[in-house]
Amino acid sequence: MTLSTPVIWVIFPLVAAAICILLSGRPQLSLIIASAIAFGLAVLAAFLPHELSLGPLTIVLEESLRFLGRRITLVYAMLPLIALLYAATGLWLLSSNLPGVPKTFRPISLVVTAALTAALGVEPFLYAALLIETMVLVSVPMLSSSTIENRRAVLRFLSLMTLAMPFILIAGWLLTGVDTLPPDSPLIAQSAIVLGLGFAIWLAVFPFHSWVPMISQHSHPTVFSFLFFILPTGVLVFGLNFFNRYGFLRTSETLFNIIRLIGVLMIAYGGVSTAVQDHLKRAFGFSVLVETGFSLLAISSASSGGIIWMLMMLPPRALGYWLWGYTLARLESRYDMVLNLKAIQGQSLRFPFLSSGLILAQFSIAGMPLLASFPIKIALLSQVLAENMVSGLWSFFGGLGLFIFTIRLLLSFHQPIDIEIKQPWFLQDKFPHFLPIILTVVILIISGLFPGKIFPSIIDILAAFPQLQFLP
Amino acid sequence: MQTISMLALVTIVIAVLIVIIFKDWRVIAVALGAQYLGAFALVALSWPVNLAIVKLITGWMASSVIAFTCLRQNRERSQPEKAASLFFRGLTGLLVIVLIFILAPSMQERIFPGVDLVIIQGGLMMMGMTLMQLGLNSEPYPVIISLFTFLSGFEVIHAALELSTLLTGLFVVVNLGLSLAGVYLMVSAEETSESIQEEEL
Repeated sequence: MTLSTPVIWVIFPLVAAAICILLSGRPQLSLIIASAIAFGLAVLAAFLPHELSLGPLTIVLEESLRFLGRRITLVYAMLPLIALLYAATGLWLLSSNLPGVPKTFRPISLVVTAALTAALGVEPFLYAALLIETMVLVSVPMLSSSTIENRRAVLRFLSLMTLAMPFILIAGWLLTGVDTLPPDSPLIAQSAIVLGLGFAIWLAVFPFHSWVPMISQHSHPTVFSFLFFILPTGVLVFGLNFFNRYGFLRTSETLFNIIRLIGVLMIAYGGVSTAVQDHLKRAFGFSVLVETGFSLLAISSASSGGIIWMLMMLPPRALGYWLWGYTLARLESRYDMVLNLKAIQGQSLRFPFLSSGLILAQFSIAGMPLLASFPIKIALLSQVLAENMVSGLWSFFGGLGLFIFTIRLLLSFHQPIDIEIKQPWFLQDKFPHFLPIILTVVILIISGLFPGKIFPSIIDILAAFPQLQFLP
Repeated sequence: MQTISMLALVTIVIAVLIVIIFKDWRVIAVALGAQYLGAFALVALSWPVNLAIVKLITGWMASSVIAFTCLRQNRERSQPEKAASLFFRGLTGLLVIVLIFILAPSMQERIFPGVDLVIIQGGLMMMGMTLMQLGLNSEPYPVIISLFTFLSGFEVIHAALELSTLLTGLFVVVNLGLSLAGVYLMVSAEETSESIQEEEL
């Protein structure tokens, strides 16, 4: 029997999503099925042999699926990334029974991950732009649109993502045969500009970033934390295709300098904006810009192994975002109000585990020593400092933005309010609520103490980009 | 053939101007239908008619979905707009048209040398008008209509560059997906305004 990898990681999740829609009246069952399928697909991607023997039945796995005259090819080298994507989806699905998470989240998250997986394997690879657009369109119903502000945010997100897609397709067409052109050909600069614009819009680079804090402020934390992990991850990995395929992009020092400048700008702008926020969910949105900045900074140091750092940042980021989203969602359901620094004053006495989880999630994303992102960010910042002192210093100070916001949050959590002076405090955290927090924090600490031990195979996906392994 | 392509370009120019100037969904629906007809004629210059017609059918389907939503919502005719407002929008539309006619020949020369000028003009006209429309509106209906126009303009130009069945299929998915997303946003906008009205009562 022959089975292809796209059938397993693209078609099967779509079928699972359809089942989840049918089971929308039975939330517990659909939660179990969706999570089990996502984790099952992640395990399968992590440990898949080329040939499966189930008793007398032998299943041979192919890497390609022909579809409307083209192919979707999921090579074995890409499976670690697919494992990460499905594991992250499974993690978010586990928290999809939190109050306020839209019913549509379960099927849509599976469809989004399936579309992203297809985008990573479609040939010609430029068609991925349309699959990413499909992913954006599918994600609209899970983003809240119950107020005018929410709708405005969703429309801005939708508009910008739709405007980005043609830039990528046109750039792809312009790049055809560009390798044979002389280096001073104007076509090279034109195609690089068009391509850059497309990616800048997709990655919410300043000034195309306005939808990010708007979405984070108005949507459910579980939903936007998932979207902010999955969308930039897909776009960044898709972007590696261009470096792998086009030699002039790989060898252009100017291009890497521009990427570094943009990365530093995003870290500095996002960091300052995060530091001065009062709204907890908006701060998440701005720190997403900082994280994208760090990814761009890593790509700009590609010749010193930056792409490995970019990939290694993904698992800690997934865990950090999930914990951040989870704790915010729990807090939001408790208070049923605007989550700002004033509203949560003194609440660490009521919810010590929840508040600690939130603080640690933010510290982990910020790159606090002993937590998951620290080893990678310190290595990256050291490298950037060695290569360019000014960029390194701006990145360092920009990265402090989330630290400052977290310290403000910490102070606010511990600030006593009148009611607590009159009444003794009592623990309101429940064990099933804080168990996931404890487990995630333990994993974050282990990742920080033993860097590269969580999803170490993520860097193996570089085998799918042979040219990037030998960057000058 | 040249007459048809010129006729298509004129249709597109008039249609995009109507879409930017007027706000009545009935007028816009008709203009959008005409615009897709013009786009189909331009795509048919590069593709076989049996494949180009997919763009026409998809466009009409997508715009019908939005039009039927407007009909279901029983949108009342908005109050007559001031002449100054209509004049302003018409003027901005005309400016975009003039700009596209100036830019298109140099774009043909530098970026799309093998593509017919009428195709570039038609495609850019729709894309340019969309950017103007997006800048002027923030409500679901005009934004979604603008995105339809933008995609249609891009498809006209891209059809002259590449012919692919999968790509055509993916564009169909995107157009229909956009119409469904538009319906979702329009319906939720209506529900919000209804709940606000109930609260006020």
